[in-house]
Amino acid sequence: MRYRRPGLDITSHTLLILCVIVFFLPVWMAIVAATHTQSSLYTGTAPLWFGSEGLGNFLAVLSDPVSRLGTDATRLLLNSTIMALGIAVGKITIAILAAYAIVFFRFPMRMLCFWAIFITLMLPVEVRIMPTYKVVADLGMLNSYSGLILPLIASATATFLFRQFYLTVPPELLEAARVDGAGPWRFLRDILLPLSKTNIAALFVIMFLYGWNQYLWPLLITTESDYMTVVISLKRMLTSADNLVPWHTVTATTLLAMLPPIIVIVLMQRYFVKGLVDTEK
Amino acid sequence: MATLRLDGLKKTYPNGFVALHGLDLTIDDGELLVVVGPSGCGKSTLLRMLAGLEDITEGSLYIGEKRVNELEPVERDIAMVFQNYALYPHMSVAGNMEYALKNRGIPKEERRRKVEETARLIGLQDLLDRRPRQLSGGQRQRVAMGRAIVREPQVFLFDEPLSNLDAKLRVQMRLEIRRLQKRLGVTAVYVTHDQVEAMTLADRLIVMNEGRIEQLGTPMTLYEQPASTFVAGFIGSPAMNFLNANADGDTLTLPCGSQLTSPVDVHGDITLGIRPEHLVPVEESPQALTVQVELVEPLGADTLAYATLAGQTEPLVVRFDGVRRLNEGDRLWLAPDRERLHVFDPDHGHRLTTTETSTTS
Ligand SMILES: Nc1ncnc2c1ncn2[C@@H]1O[C@H](COP(=O)(O)OP(=O)(O)OP(=O)(O)O)[C@@H](O)[C@H]1O
Ligand SMILES: [Mg+2]
Repeated sequence: MRYRRPGLDITSHTLLILCVIVFFLPVWMAIVAATHTQSSLYTGTAPLWFGSEGLGNFLAVLSDPVSRLGTDATRLLLNSTIMALGIAVGKITIAILAAYAIVFFRFPMRMLCFWAIFITLMLPVEVRIMPTYKVVADLGMLNSYSGLILPLIASATATFLFRQFYLTVPPELLEAARVDGAGPWRFLRDILLPLSKTNIAALFVIMFLYGWNQYLWPLLITTESDYMTVVISLKRMLTSADNLVPWHTVTATTLLAMLPPIIVIVLMQRYFVKGLVDTEK
Repeated sequence: MATLRLDGLKKTYPNGFVALHGLDLTIDDGELLVVVGPSGCGKSTLLRMLAGLEDITEGSLYIGEKRVNELEPVERDIAMVFQNYALYPHMSVAGNMEYALKNRGIPKEERRRKVEETARLIGLQDLLDRRPRQLSGGQRQRVAMGRAIVREPQVFLFDEPLSNLDAKLRVQMRLEIRRLQKRLGVTAVYVTHDQVEAMTLADRLIVMNEGRIEQLGTPMTLYEQPASTFVAGFIGSPAMNFLNANADGDTLTLPCGSQLTSPVDVHGDITLGIRPEHLVPVEESPQALTVQVELVEPLGADTLAYATLAGQTEPLVVRFDGVRRLNEGDRLWLAPDRERLHVFDPDHGHRLTTTETSTTS
């Protein structure tokens, strides 16, 4: 429904534009700062226009080891991507299978399983971080990708969402598939997964961001710079004891760290907006 | 193509509810058997047991010579058409139709050929690329049929396939189902609660009541010789009239004083059944039933009159030719045909024949 009210239009647009400026200003300053040299950033006023370096700072952090980290941003981004992808894909896979079992199979203690999964919602990593650390350390998974990914991979939220979705699938669809000779795996692959495309896309974005933004867990278990994630590295660059903070490198790395989530959102939102518009159920 | 044999088929649901009380039945090769009955009588349960979607608690089910109790639906080689069609929403019409063939590992070329052949048979050629949501109700119904036909199963199972269609389309699809089933010669079981559908489609008809077969026979047998008041009331529209009467040999005396000749020789209280179309208006006479018209429903071809008869609680429904003009309040004299009177036991509702005597004599 659209109303034609010119006064309202102007007010709301002004408001929106203001919000955009407020939100975008820090980003703009980061972009600008990333194009300056370190010395020109320490002249007293924060610059509002591009400096002399252009893309030089970006190329530098991507190719050369960053000071005090001992590794370059390419490696950091790679680590973060592997971790975020691992978490997102793992969470979704496990959630799909768990929800599938709970909704479509009759096995003893089915509801107990469901509630057991459900109450783990109350136990995020932060709460169980010490025991988890101990387990991971004992398994020798400190400083490894599996150590970064596995403790975060189970997701009650996603399981719950998939369960709710599966419950809305008409039971006749399952029966029709059975009559048509589709076994459990075929039904999952040919019918259930295509129908949950929208859910998968939306959850993938959410879970990717969740994995990408993990801070406490990677901070705890990665001591080698080879497994450091980009989010951790930012904090590390800022904690300088003796010399000045290299703002040009920090901002360049920050901007690089923002890119993959943006790319994921842009790519995926097409799927789920499409899915929401022409829902096939 | 196969015969279907049910041997003491019984269903008890996990909550202890007995939905079917041991059915014995043989469905001949190529026959279209219609199962009809009121809501909750176990029609869907029966069909789903035949399909293998519901476990058989007791008894045996044979398709052809093979006992299939333990077989999965796909191994029984049946095809089912669901009430809400249950088409796969994300697959095209062609995709829906070929899915079963694909699962059987039939090569792509052959699949395409079969799907196209079937589509031509049921008039879906131009819709093969559409998604189910881009189809009308009637077209979806056709796709559901096509999906069943393309597999060339031994048995078709239909669970109220037409109940989501409008009246006109229902008549059209009814004819089409009948034509296709005869042409393909596939044994079929068809569940409905619409008695017109049941009468027009069936080779043989089962009337079910609370998990039991009330009567099995051709539509005309059920119409002419209903085994009980339940069947009599279910088959035929408008439903049969039931009157209280007293029988003494071949004379029936109604509470209003009229006397009719009974087709059977019984004594005592009975329930007399007369179909609305078998009440013929006559000149005033002491033998005739004297009624007063209460309400008139002109249907065009026919006119229905609801009339009161002394001593009866329910109004009597009478069917007249559409040309006859009737007014509310008119007095009429009706003479039922002796051969078309039905005599039932007043307590248990079963049909009484000459050899039996009424229980309450
Ligand atoms: N899963 C179940 N557990 C217990 N009782 C059930 C179950 N499914 C069906 N019933 C009962 O079995 C009886 C027969 O059900 P069924 O679905 O076969 O009826 P129906 O004849 O197909 O009715 P309708 O014409 O309304 O479709 C009903 O009384 C129903 O309540
Ligand atoms: Mg039913």
